Amino acid sequence: MKTIKRFFKHENVGILFALPAFVYMLIVVGYPIISNIVLSVQDVTVRNLARGTKNFVGLNNYIVLFRDEVFRLTISNTLKFTVYSLLFQFIIGFALAVFFNKNFSFAKPIRGLLMIPWMIPMTVTALIFKFIFSTDVGIINYLLHSLGIISENIEWLTNPNIALGCVIFANVWIGIPFNTILLSTGLTTISQELYESAAIDGANGFQRFIKITLPLLRPTIESVLVLGFIYTFKCYDLIYVMTSGGPVNSTHLMSTYSYKLSFEMFDYSMGSAAANVLLVILLVVGMVYLKITMEGEND
Amino acid sequence: MGEEKRLNKKKNILLCVISIIILCVLLFPLFWIFVTSLKTEQEIFRIPPTFYPHKLNLGSYAAQIETGDFNMFRAFGNSFIISIGAMLIAVVLAVPASYAIAKYRFVGRKTMLLGFLVTQMLPVSVLLTPMFIMFKGMNVYNTWISAILADATLGIPFSVLILKNYFASIPKELEEAAYIDGCGRFKAFIKVLIPVAKPGIIVCAIFSFLYSWGDLAYGMTFILDQKKRPITAGIFNFMGQYGTTWSYLTAFAIVTIIPVALIFIFMQKYIIAGMTSGAVKG
Repeated sequence: MKTIKRFFKHENVGILFALPAFVYMLIVVGYPIISNIVLSVQDVTVRNLARGTKNFVGLNNYIVLFRDEVFRLTISNTLKFTVYSLLFQFIIGFALAVFFNKNFSFAKPIRGLLMIPWMIPMTVTALIFKFIFSTDVGIINYLLHSLGIISENIEWLTNPNIALGCVIFANVWIGIPFNTILLSTGLTTISQELYESAAIDGANGFQRFIKITLPLLRPTIESVLVLGFIYTFKCYDLIYVMTSGGPVNSTHLMSTYSYKLSFEMFDYSMGSAAANVLLVILLVVGMVYLKITMEGEND
Repeated sequence: MGEEKRLNKKKNILLCVISIIILCVLLFPLFWIFVTSLKTEQEIFRIPPTFYPHKLNLGSYAAQIETGDFNMFRAFGNSFIISIGAMLIAVVLAVPASYAIAKYRFVGRKTMLLGFLVTQMLPVSVLLTPMFIMFKGMNVYNTWISAILADATLGIPFSVLILKNYFASIPKELEEAAYIDGCGRFKAFIKVLIPVAKPGIIVCAIFSFLYSWGDLAYGMTFILDQKKRPITAGIFNFMGQYGTTWSYLTAFAIVTIIPVALIFIFMQKYIIAGMTSGAVKG
């Protein structure tokens, strides 16, 4: 009893404060992660779930998965979706951050309003863009029509060649505010004097951007891109509501395909295996994020 | 950037005009569904499209109350209960945990912090199946509790990471003064530190609420009973059932956005504070 008391006397009293949250996460999140790994090396489908007979099948699910053409397609889809989303939302977000960093009257209130798309539930965003891209009533087809760019309505979300582009478009819309606000904050930390003295030395706007803004903003850029990668790579709701992975799997991502395997085809083990592959990729990239965040926590 | 502190009048006006154009372009999709939700179904199909409802139609909202089949206001209530529940769990657990991580160097501190960080990166599909089986075993499957328990895991890691910084920035002297006044650790925590960290706690509460409000996967997978489902799952069902009845669908979407809009209007500074913290979901 005395030893226990002494253990919690000084710094270790913190454990008592931290434990409830940690235990909660351990039960509701930690346990599922482990059981997902177990599930992926068994053969559990809706047929044998109730009976409780679980056959150990080793890595067989993973082998089947990598032989599955659709799964291989979802890997490339996920990569395309992530890279293009990040690229466009970063460029647009950066441009807006630079623009709203100028000292004009509306800068702050309007930049604030631009955050709204980020707050809207993904399900609603998906519905909005499904409407905007719809073939017959979609405003995009109307605009292109009236500008004389197209003569026949384009089937945006039902054409396998362009559907992925449309969901990327929607995802860029969601991601712009996040990029803008983080990069804006980064920009405000750069001292104006640096720019002024560079201007005196004869550096033009572009040179100042390359030589001052980019290097000093590097930590912010890193965290924006890494966080963006993590949340884009595992994106689920947007695709599921907008296209459900169709047409002909052209917009299926690893996350939506894993859901489909588990909850539409009721092949829980295959779904778990697919989710684990996704998780491994996320953790590898996430190492960078962990390194950035854990720095300065070394005491 | 590199600009002199004050812009001249002409340039100021020019930049203001450009910023309004940017705003209109980026928020057009929201304006568009709002206008559409007030149109009749025939007007939605009219070409060229009308940019304001020529015939105001509130029927799409009213129809939801009358027909019990897909009552979006009930779904709204479900979402509200689930989000408030998840928010309460997240805040109650995250506040002491973040205080501990900020102020004490205890055994296992780094492991815990790492654990919270990793849970932020988890794809929902990793958790769905095992949670589904677990909730069935706990007999909470098909109830609000299952969604509340799952949604709280979205808010906890975010809140811990945000609040850790808030607590770390509170000077030690404040706490020590409380000890001198005869407060124990718990009393000092509740009476002194929590009030000081209040802005941070509000940020956490808002984001925990928003994460739950926006959740589709958990609500849809763990609750099958139409009467208990959250509003996001309601929209998804509705889309499956009524396909392209855009007047109804956009009305549904607008109702879903209402709390988000209210939070934005009244608590904008907390939203910006939360988003710039770098722990937010992108």
